[in-house]
Amino acid sequence: MDKETLINSYFENSLGKDQLKEFEQLMKTDSEFASEVDFQKELQHSFKKNERQEIKQMLGDLNIVENDTETKVFSIRPWLAAASIALLVGVGTWMLFFTNTDINTNQLYASNFAPYDNVVHPIERGNAMINIKDKAFTAYEDGDYSMALKLFKQLQIEQTDPYITFYEAIVLMQLNNHQDAIPLLKAYIENDGQLKDRATWYLALSHLKMDEIENSKTQLKKLVDQDGFKMKAARELLEELE
Amino acid sequence: MTDEHLIAQLKQRDRNALKTVYLDYKTEFFKFMSRYKADAIVLEDIFQDALIVLYENAQNGKLDALKSTVKTYLFGIGKFMLFKHFRDGKKEVPTEETYLFDKYEQAVIEEVHEDEGPNEYQKKMVTNFKKLGEKCREILELFYLQGMKLDEITQTQGYDNKDVAKSQKSRCLKSLKQLIGKNNG
Repeated sequence: MDKETLINSYFENSLGKDQLKEFEQLMKTDSEFASEVDFQKELQHSFKKNERQEIKQMLGDLNIVENDTETKVFSIRPWLAAASIALLVGVGTWMLFFTNTDINTNQLYASNFAPYDNVVHPIERGNAMINIKDKAFTAYEDGDYSMALKLFKQLQIEQTDPYITFYEAIVLMQLNNHQDAIPLLKAYIENDGQLKDRATWYLALSHLKMDEIENSKTQLKKLVDQDGFKMKAARELLEELE
Repeated sequence: MTDEHLIAQLKQRDRNALKTVYLDYKTEFFKFMSRYKADAIVLEDIFQDALIVLYENAQNGKLDALKSTVKTYLFGIGKFMLFKHFRDGKKEVPTEETYLFDKYEQAVIEEVHEDEGPNEYQKKMVTNFKKLGEKCREILELFYLQGMKLDEITQTQGYDNKDVAKSQKSRCLKSLKQLIGKNNG
């Protein structure tokens, strides 16, 4: 066995007992051989450490995105609550004085709906976009919803990431297609998706937009009971609806 | 995603699958570990390291005959790392049963946990590696990172025979050495 083959077999873990002895002997006596092996071992370590670093960076980015969204939700909430109260008082007064019709679900919907941030698939702008998922979430972030819908539909066929269902539903809501959004949200919640509480909120809003007040209230009550995401907003909206 | 599906994706080195695991289990992991009163920064670090171990051990075939769920395995790694972290910091360690890892798995866990990233020379290696042509990057990565044998590389990458693949790899190593040498002087 020539020296190169010996080294290759060492890395392939396929040296027999005698060959291993030969290998070890050469490591001690042949400095050129030893430095070649060391170089290749170092390359192997470099690859591994580099990959670990890349993965940590990727997960770290995910952590930052998560934290950002939390603070965003938190800081927007009081403002949103104030705005929706102001709006409700306005709408309420208007209704009291001029009409006797039911709650204006369109207004309530408009004051509560905002597309959910992309927290699952961070996009690095400027990089060549090779896969559909990058393209889909870029379109989503850019507000190009009809393009996003096309891409999400394609992703549904190719991928199994549950959150794609959730984001496709948000896109449908943006496109005012609540009829199709509702079953997607329901399926996502049923499958116990990571963003389940978020999906419940959007399901409540979709029902609201469809004038299905009772269904909307059922979902809002769940959020109030869970005492988590959008609890306050859900309670306020619920009070309005009742 | 089922565990089988997830393990298959990890074996194919699909890093996006790791993102899903991260998002799916993070809250629960923190809840699970909360009784040990560790710092949140330490826990985040451990959770990320545990995912890397999961990724590497899936590729090493250690998850092929997994008797528990992936979640239990992942949380077991996290616990093992946290206890090690406590021991290293001379903090009192909770005496508790942990997941039973074999020697090989333990070595990976400790190695990943203690990995402080590539050193200067290793960074230089990777930088210069990226300057190589596509064929070279492919064969070196398959052989040294993914642990593919020359026979397999010959078959999957369409080399005429093993000797062609062998001399291609040898040429690529030489080019890499030259690049590193050039940037040294």
